[in-house]
Amino acid sequence: MTVNPFRKPWIWLFCAVAATLPFWLPSYFLHVATVTMIMVALASAWNIPAGIGGLLSMGQSIFVTCGGILASALLVKLGINLWLGAIATAVLAAVIGATMAWFDNRFRLGHLSFALITLAFAEINQLVTFGTDFVGGASGVYLPKDTGDFLQFQFGGSTTYYLVSLALAMLLVALNVAILRSRLGYYLRAIRDNDRAAQAAGVPVLQNNMFAMALSGATTSLIGTFYARYLTFADPNLLASTSLTIYIILAATVGGLGTALGPLVGAVLLVPVGELLSAELGAVLPGLQRFIYGAVVVVVVLCAPSGIVATLSSWMRRRNVAPDPGPTHEDDASAGSGSERQRASV
Amino acid sequence: MDLLIQALVQGVLVGSTYAVIALGMGLIFSVSGIINFAHGDLIVIAMFMCLSAFTALKVDPYLALAVTVPAMVVLAAALYRFLLRRMIGRPFLITVQLTLGLSFMIQSLLLMFYGGEPQRVPSLIEAQIWLVGDIVFEGKLVVAFAVSVVLSVLLFWMLNYTDFGRSVRAIRQNAKAAALMGINVERARLKTFMLGIGVLALAGSLLVPGMSIQPTAGLHLTVITLLAVVLGGMSNFAGILIGGIVIGIAEAFGSIYVSGTLGLIFPYLIFVAILLFRPAGILGRSQ
Amino acid sequence: MPISDNQNLLEVQNLSAGYGGRRVLHDVSISIGKGELVGLLGANNAGKSTLINCLSGIVAADTGRVAFDGNECTDLAPHLRVERGIVHVPEGRLLFPGLTVRENLQLAGINPTVRRDREARIERVIRLFPRVGERLDQLAGTLSGGEQQMVAISRGLVSGARLLMLDEPSLGLSPLMVRTIFAAIKRLNEEEKLTILLVEQNLRLTIAHASRCYVLEHGRVVLSGSSAELAEDPRTRKAYLGM
Repeated sequence: MTVNPFRKPWIWLFCAVAATLPFWLPSYFLHVATVTMIMVALASAWNIPAGIGGLLSMGQSIFVTCGGILASALLVKLGINLWLGAIATAVLAAVIGATMAWFDNRFRLGHLSFALITLAFAEINQLVTFGTDFVGGASGVYLPKDTGDFLQFQFGGSTTYYLVSLALAMLLVALNVAILRSRLGYYLRAIRDNDRAAQAAGVPVLQNNMFAMALSGATTSLIGTFYARYLTFADPNLLASTSLTIYIILAATVGGLGTALGPLVGAVLLVPVGELLSAELGAVLPGLQRFIYGAVVVVVVLCAPSGIVATLSSWMRRRNVAPDPGPTHEDDASAGSGSERQRASV
Repeated sequence: MDLLIQALVQGVLVGSTYAVIALGMGLIFSVSGIINFAHGDLIVIAMFMCLSAFTALKVDPYLALAVTVPAMVVLAAALYRFLLRRMIGRPFLITVQLTLGLSFMIQSLLLMFYGGEPQRVPSLIEAQIWLVGDIVFEGKLVVAFAVSVVLSVLLFWMLNYTDFGRSVRAIRQNAKAAALMGINVERARLKTFMLGIGVLALAGSLLVPGMSIQPTAGLHLTVITLLAVVLGGMSNFAGILIGGIVIGIAEAFGSIYVSGTLGLIFPYLIFVAILLFRPAGILGRSQ
Repeated sequence: MPISDNQNLLEVQNLSAGYGGRRVLHDVSISIGKGELVGLLGANNAGKSTLINCLSGIVAADTGRVAFDGNECTDLAPHLRVERGIVHVPEGRLLFPGLTVRENLQLAGINPTVRRDREARIERVIRLFPRVGERLDQLAGTLSGGEQQMVAISRGLVSGARLLMLDEPSLGLSPLMVRTIFAAIKRLNEEEKLTILLVEQNLRLTIAHASRCYVLEHGRVVLSGSSAELAEDPRTRKAYLGM
């Protein structure tokens, strides 16, 4: 699992092809590509604590709100440069993330409790954002027109935005790879698989979890700022909504949680299909995008439950290597003991 | 002081319905280990069915449940048989994904059929108000309360005095031993799921009069239900009922004392506070 | 399959089974006649529990057949096997701790074959185990080990066992309790003519009570015969102690 995908030729092929898109893709499709790359980045950022570390936070939208909405409000209402705003909100997001990890540790929360508490905070975040005028309330904040001034955190035309989003996406994927191959990744995975055993073995559980959540928070916040800037509009219905967290989680898990390429694959699969179909048929069938998203997720869960990447790679391994006996599960044939596992982790 | 009592009354009346919905989810979880993130969306389906019943046949939502409950039970059986049954014994994350995906599908289908504008389902009772001193008792909330109480009593009776109920409790405690007793565990799970969703459909009719509904309302209801279930300690049925009422009261306090959307954060805050200090739930883990 | 007069109650032929990818039982064949008390011996991981789990349907068989009273039941669901009378009293008792003893017994009588005379069966079981009768309204989780074992066996009887399969009934019990339990087991077999399959770690006990035994080692039947023969055979101890 610590194979470096960047050593394989096809990922560079993908980057190369992706980089050429602005030169031949019509502008609406380029927009879809940009949004897809942003989702890749967001999903990859979530993968760090969730996939690698096992901390299933459902509060990513909080970080996106920090970077997307709060930074924008700081710019528009207080005139604070967006670079400064981006960094400040990223720091805030990092602190919030670390605090969540601290809660998880201090109160010994199980998977479900942690997920629900972070979900509760995400809902609070949504309500507070909608109810606070400073950050634009329900109408959001309009950013000043993009004049290409880099010092103002502006990137000019759609080509540049796309290339920056591509860079962000690949950066986050590379970050995942780096972490997976590092000691941090090793610790996180040990914690994910059995945190008591990890602790007994001397792994500093709290520090590693806090770091992973802080990193995830900061990067997500920065991506949020970029997203708002790209849309020239900090839309609370998008950036503060709990549904965004769900989109991110589904993209990462469909692709394969815990793998570096999973979020990339998941986002690339889910986002364009939905966007394009809803562009074609959106007037006739509102909500089609969400339907496709949901349907693809259901199909993938039923057919490839460990995610597309994991399923594909085990399929390829089986084709190249002599049959291996596979993992031994303790399978309770009919009277499933799944409920014990869930209860134990609550 | 009056405001306090009003908030309490409101909270208990609404909370009782949340409690029953949460009990449905708790039953399903205790028997099959499944946490259904589309739970709230299923309630919304029932609500929209009431809407259709009204627009097509001028039927009051309280009467529509004669149709919505059986329809939802059939839907539940299909959902369980074809989708959810495969989630038994699987890790938490897999079930979350499947049910979230399902939630998206339901929301968007409702969006396609009914559009995104909030719509209201009127009822004969919706304007009915009773006054006790200075405290307002909304008719529809009183009805919801009464029905929920009856339903809870029936469920408790079933759990403690019928073979089916005993099977449910047995499976929760040890599914393997239950199978060895000759209990058809699979069928019990199916029946429990159908029961849980039937309760949802009933609750839908209780909540809907005079309420404006939207296809995307499901997630919020799912979260509220989850809050109540977790507060109750997951399988502790008495705890879940209390959890529902606590959430209802928190919501009422929030909306009465704080105006605007900020008031709605109360249930979440209360939830976080309680869970952090009593992680096993309000009443602790049950046997 | 033709039904003959003196056929065995339980016929297991060439059974192989395991968990996940790992095979535990290899080509096991045993048979139990009506009214017999047969012992199943073997060291810790010999596959005894797996065999019983297969017989009760908890674990699916990979290959082989199981026939009960002349009828094929290799792929039958666990609850249907109980209906036919194949009852497994599991290792560790596995009572429902949050239910009363009475509720445990009531649940045992839930299958259609015995449902109608459930109360009568419970009465009979209380006569066999008076202690159970005293504890009817207590939560099963609060009983002592020996009492729990009595309740576990009672459950099996209320379920309408025609073949009672006991998995390590002496586990964790005091010697006095073991004597009581085994006296009851003996009575069930001799007076009520109940067919019993006994899985036990305790070699001496098993040989003393069972008329015939099988010895499993690494998932295969390595020895079988009357208890007297096996008691004399040095290979028994060897296989049993895994040496």
